[in-house]
Amino acid sequence: MIINLRVWLKIPDAEAATVKNTLLRRMGYQGIVRDVKRERLLSIEADDVSDPDSLIKQLTRELVNENKESFAVSVNSLDLSNGFVPVKVSLWIEDGEAVSIRDRLVKRLGLKMIRAVQRANIWKLYIDGDDPESVARRIAEELLVNPNKDRYEIIKLN
Amino acid sequence: MRIAVVQFPGTNCEHETLVAVKECGMDGEIFRWNRPEQELCEFDGYVIPGGFSYQDRVRAGVIASKEPVMATLREEAERGKPIVGICNGFQVLVESGILPFGDGVRLALAQNVMIRGGEIVRRGYYCAWTMLRHDAEEKRCSGSYILRRGDILSIPIAHAEGNLVASDRKVIERLIDDGQIVFRYCSERGEIINEFPVNVNGSTENIAGICNPEGNVLGMMPHPERAFFAWQLPRKHPRVQGYGPGRLIFESMKRYIEERRS
Repeated sequence: MIINLRVWLKIPDAEAATVKNTLLRRMGYQGIVRDVKRERLLSIEADDVSDPDSLIKQLTRELVNENKESFAVSVNSLDLSNGFVPVKVSLWIEDGEAVSIRDRLVKRLGLKMIRAVQRANIWKLYIDGDDPESVARRIAEELLVNPNKDRYEIIKLN
Repeated sequence: MRIAVVQFPGTNCEHETLVAVKECGMDGEIFRWNRPEQELCEFDGYVIPGGFSYQDRVRAGVIASKEPVMATLREEAERGKPIVGICNGFQVLVESGILPFGDGVRLALAQNVMIRGGEIVRRGYYCAWTMLRHDAEEKRCSGSYILRRGDILSIPIAHAEGNLVASDRKVIERLIDDGQIVFRYCSERGEIINEFPVNVNGSTENIAGICNPEGNVLGMMPHPERAFFAWQLPRKHPRVQGYGPGRLIFESMKRYIEERRS
């Protein structure tokens, strides 16, 4: 099973605000981009899970700080609402932080069923106009991604 | 001779960089990113110092690379004026596409990955004295103008994202073929060993610094302003006329400007 843990800040997200400001003030997206939000996505692959609810509780306790973060969990899918273009950005070179998270879960917390952890940012771009997806692709390529280490995909909403 | 030390929000090495510039007899000033960018044209050279511009949001250097001052710096670079980007300044130059070829983002400075014996032994932020071998020809690059090929310098690093990578191997080959690799991490005897701790961050070909094809723009991860005075160096390191080897980078810039004028 793949546990998708989406985490976002309850407090103002300075990084998302900076991206929005840069798009509007420096890159000509005034009147096109209405808002920018950001979520962290951890996709945790686990085998032979006897009690999924208990594992999910343990993972959220370890990986989320509820004093400043909110989260949502979905299994084997990624449930996102409508109204924005979700751009998923991750490293295509080895992600050392994801490896460290996996090692921490397996070696320190004894969660031997964890096979792999993948990490990404989901940029939620609120875009006005006829073709928001192509605008989102442009934004990804101009700002959100350095193709020498990152990749991106536009997540299709249901 | 006027040098602008360009400061973005989050830059944190501007004062020591300015001290280094002035100590070499150049007239320097800190140029904040929100000044009218046209005023940059009045300077003879530029240093983009280290730090964490915009808190490294999105990725190191990318937000600063969109500032209007960077468009002006690109124009000034095309006029042949020298630019030295140190650490975060190097990251800004790469994200703005000024380095390596001036035609887009051809490289990334990714998270450090320290490898020894085929195993990853460490990741992320690392702060240490490193040995650098000057691999460029003499007078090839504005920031190493007075260095000879094979000179070895001891200069410290302090970064989390200095692992130079390119998705296209041809970019690295072109850097090698065109003599754009200025500094490589090396052992104390100048050997290029692609293993931690010699290669401190996993950088491709041990690359620590590169220049543009014309040689007037240098980007380097190590901090020469932190090896400027002899008292900044660890006791075991050799002194250079009472100063540290970092002084040679700033002296190079000065000499480059003088020779360009004459």
